[in-house]
Amino acid sequence: MMTVCKAVAAGNVASNRELIDGHFLMNVKLPLSLERPLPGQFLMVRIRGRREPFLGRPLSVYEFQRHVKNVTCEFLYRVVGKGTQFLSQLRLGDAVDVLGPLGRPFEIYPPNRKIVLIAGGMGIVPMTYLAGHYRSSGAGRNMKIICYAGAQNADALVGIERMQTCSDTRISTDDGSRGYSGLVTDLFARDLRTYDPRETAIFACGPRPMMKQLAVMLKDKSFPCQVSVEERMACGVGVCLGCVTAVKDDWGKRQYKRVCKEGPVFNIQDLIWD
Amino acid sequence: MVNVRDIKTAVKIGSLVLKNPVMPASGTFGYGEEFASFVDYNLLGAIVVKGLSLEPRAGNPPPRIIETTGGMLNAIGMENIGVHAFIKEKLPFLAQFNCAVIANVYGETVEEYQKVAEILSGAKGVHALEINISCPNVKKGGIAFGTDPDTVHDITGKVKQATNLPVIVKLSPNVTDIAEIAVSAQDAGADAVSLINTLTGMSVDIISRTSNIANLTGGLSGPAIKPIALRMVWEVAKKVSIPIIGIGGIMSPEDAVEFLIVGASAIQVGTANLINPLATMDILEGILAYLEVSDIMDIKDLVGSLKTERPREE
Ligand SMILES: Cc1cc2nc3c(=O)[nH]c(=O)nc-3n(C[C@H](O)[C@H](O)[C@H](O)COP(=O)(O)OP(=O)(O)OC[C@H]3O[C@@H](n4cnc5c(N)ncnc54)[C@H](O)[C@@H]3O)c2cc1C
Ligand SMILES: Cc1cc2nc3c(=O)[nH]c(=O)nc-3n(C[C@H](O)[C@H](O)[C@H](O)COP(=O)(O)O)c2cc1C
Ligand code: FES
Repeated sequence: MMTVCKAVAAGNVASNRELIDGHFLMNVKLPLSLERPLPGQFLMVRIRGRREPFLGRPLSVYEFQRHVKNVTCEFLYRVVGKGTQFLSQLRLGDAVDVLGPLGRPFEIYPPNRKIVLIAGGMGIVPMTYLAGHYRSSGAGRNMKIICYAGAQNADALVGIERMQTCSDTRISTDDGSRGYSGLVTDLFARDLRTYDPRETAIFACGPRPMMKQLAVMLKDKSFPCQVSVEERMACGVGVCLGCVTAVKDDWGKRQYKRVCKEGPVFNIQDLIWD
Repeated sequence: MVNVRDIKTAVKIGSLVLKNPVMPASGTFGYGEEFASFVDYNLLGAIVVKGLSLEPRAGNPPPRIIETTGGMLNAIGMENIGVHAFIKEKLPFLAQFNCAVIANVYGETVEEYQKVAEILSGAKGVHALEINISCPNVKKGGIAFGTDPDTVHDITGKVKQATNLPVIVKLSPNVTDIAEIAVSAQDAGADAVSLINTLTGMSVDIISRTSNIANLTGGLSGPAIKPIALRMVWEVAKKVSIPIIGIGGIMSPEDAVEFLIVGASAIQVGTANLINPLATMDILEGILAYLEVSDIMDIKDLVGSLKTERPREE
C-alpha cells in the first residue's frame, strides 16, 4: 500500500530544541492537507529556498497531531553532517518544505501477538511512533509491547521517555553507563528463547551492523520481523534510483530495491547484508 | 502586452511537434508513474523516460548518490527494466496522456543501440528517441562512445537506419570540443542534439578515505553545472542548424530562458525534479510569464537571441 501525496507541504518551525548533545526535537506546523503518516513512513524535509543543503533529508515521524487549523509533525534527529547541521539551526517560524508521507509502512499485526520493538540509536524514532500507533488503536491498547533500546552511552540515550507507554522497556549501552552493558541485540538475544514465534512480532530500526546481527540471530527462526533501513536519498519518491538496497527476490536472486518506495520497511529475511 | 494564451510555444524536433519546450530529463522522472500524481503530463512538451537497454540492468551497488555544493553526484549504473518490459509494462500508462513520449536509449555496443532503437520504433506510443552516448563502449575498453566524433557519426547513422522516429543525440560534456561532436551527429542525420549529460566527478569521505560513491566516480548535475552547460549550448548553436535541447542545472524559469537565449529550442529539467516534483510545471509557467512581460509572441523569437555586443551606455 502506498500513499499518494499531491504536493509539497509548506511548513513552519514551531520549535527546534537540543534535547541532549547533538540531538534535536523539531516540531513543524503543516497544512491540514498533509495525510497522517503510517508507522514506518517518512517525510522528505527541506529548508525552503535554500541551495545548501541542496537535497531534502529523509526523516521518520516521531509524533503527528491533527488540530483544527493545521497539523503538527515532530521530528527527532541527530546531527551527523551538513544537512542535519543546517536543520539544527532553524528557528521559530522558519520555512521548511515537507514531502510525504512516503514509503511502505510497517504491516500492523492484529493484537493477538506480543510486540517486540528493537531500537538502536535514532531507530527509536519510528519505534516510538509505532508503539504510539498500537496504543491509540482500540484493540492495541492492552497489547504487550516490549521495547529494547540501545545507544553508545547513557548521554546518547535519547527519546526513551516516550517509550514509557510500553509494557516493559529494557535498555542497553555499549559502554555500560546505563542498563545492560553491550549491544542491544545481545540484550535481546538473552531473552530470545522466552518468546514464542507464533505469538510474537518483531520490529526493528537501527544502524546496519545492529540489524545485520539481528538477521543472523533470527535466521533459522520463524519470527515475523520487519525492519526499517536507511540509505542516502535524493528524490524520496522513486524516480532517481539513488537509494537502493540489495534484497533477495522470490527466487532468492539478488536484486536492488528502492528504499524510498519498496522500503524503508522490509522483511528482515529478504535483505542482503554484504 | 501580449496575451499569454496567444503566445506560440510549439517547437519542432525533426518531424515531431512539441506543444511547448519543457520536458523532464532522463533518469529524473522514472518511467513517468511516480510523478503522475504531481504533474499534469498533458501540459508538458514531452516526457523523457529513464535510459533503456536491451536487457534489464541491475545497476551499481549503493551508495549511488551524494550531495555536493550546488548539486549532486550520481552513479546509478543505468539500472533499468529493459526495453521489452518498458513497452509491455510502462508504455501503456504513458499513452493515456496527450504528451509526446521520448525514449532514452542506452547501449554498450553500436549493435545494442541499433537493436533497442529498432524495438522502440515498433512500439505504439514512442514519439522520438534520445540516444545517450555517454555510455561506456565495452568493445573499446569502456571509453564513452560520445567522446569520439567518428564513433558518434557511426552510432547516429546506424540508429537512423533502424528507425523512422526522430533521433535526438544526447551529448556528453566530458569532451574537449563538444561542437565537433554535435556536427558529427548532425552530419550523420540526427534530428536534434540534447546537452549536457552529467560531468564526471568525485567526492571523498576524509575520515574513511573512501569515495562517497561505491562506483568511485559519479556524474555531476544540478545548478553547479549550469554555466558550463550554457557555454556548451552556445558553442554548439554556432555550429549546427538542427534544434538543440538545453539541459544542465535548470532550477527556475529564468535558468530555462537563459538556455533559450543562447540557442536552445527546448529545455529539459533534471535534478530540480528531485527536490521539487512540480519543477517542470513551475518552470513552464514562469517561461510563459517571461514571454508575456517581454512582449514575445512566438518563443522562436527568443531562441538564439543572445546579443554579443553590449549595448552602449547612454
Ligand atoms: C527512511 C529514513 C528515515 C530516517 N529517519 C531519521 C530520523 O528520524 N532521525 C535521524 O536523526 N535520522 C534519520 N534518518 C537518517 C537521516 O536521513 C540522515 O542522518 C541525514 O540524511 C544525514 O544528512 P547530513 O547531511 O546531516 O549528513 P551527510 O553529510 O549526508 O552524512 C553524514 C553521515 O551520515 C550518513 N548518511 C547520510 N544520509 C544517510 C541516510 N539517509 N541514512 C543513513 N545514513 C546516512 C553518511 O553516509 C555519513 O556517514 C533517516 C533516514 C531514512 C532513510
Ligand atoms: C539520478 C540521475 C539519473 C540519470 N539518468 C540518466 C539516464 O538514464 N540517461 C541519460 O541520458 N541521462 C541521465 N541523467 C542525466 C540527466 O538527464 C541530465 O542530463 C543531467 O542530470 C543534467 O541536468 P540537470 O542538472 O538538470 O540534472 C541522469 C541524471 C541524474 C541526476
Ligand atoms: S531517493 Fe530517489 S529513488 Fe529513492
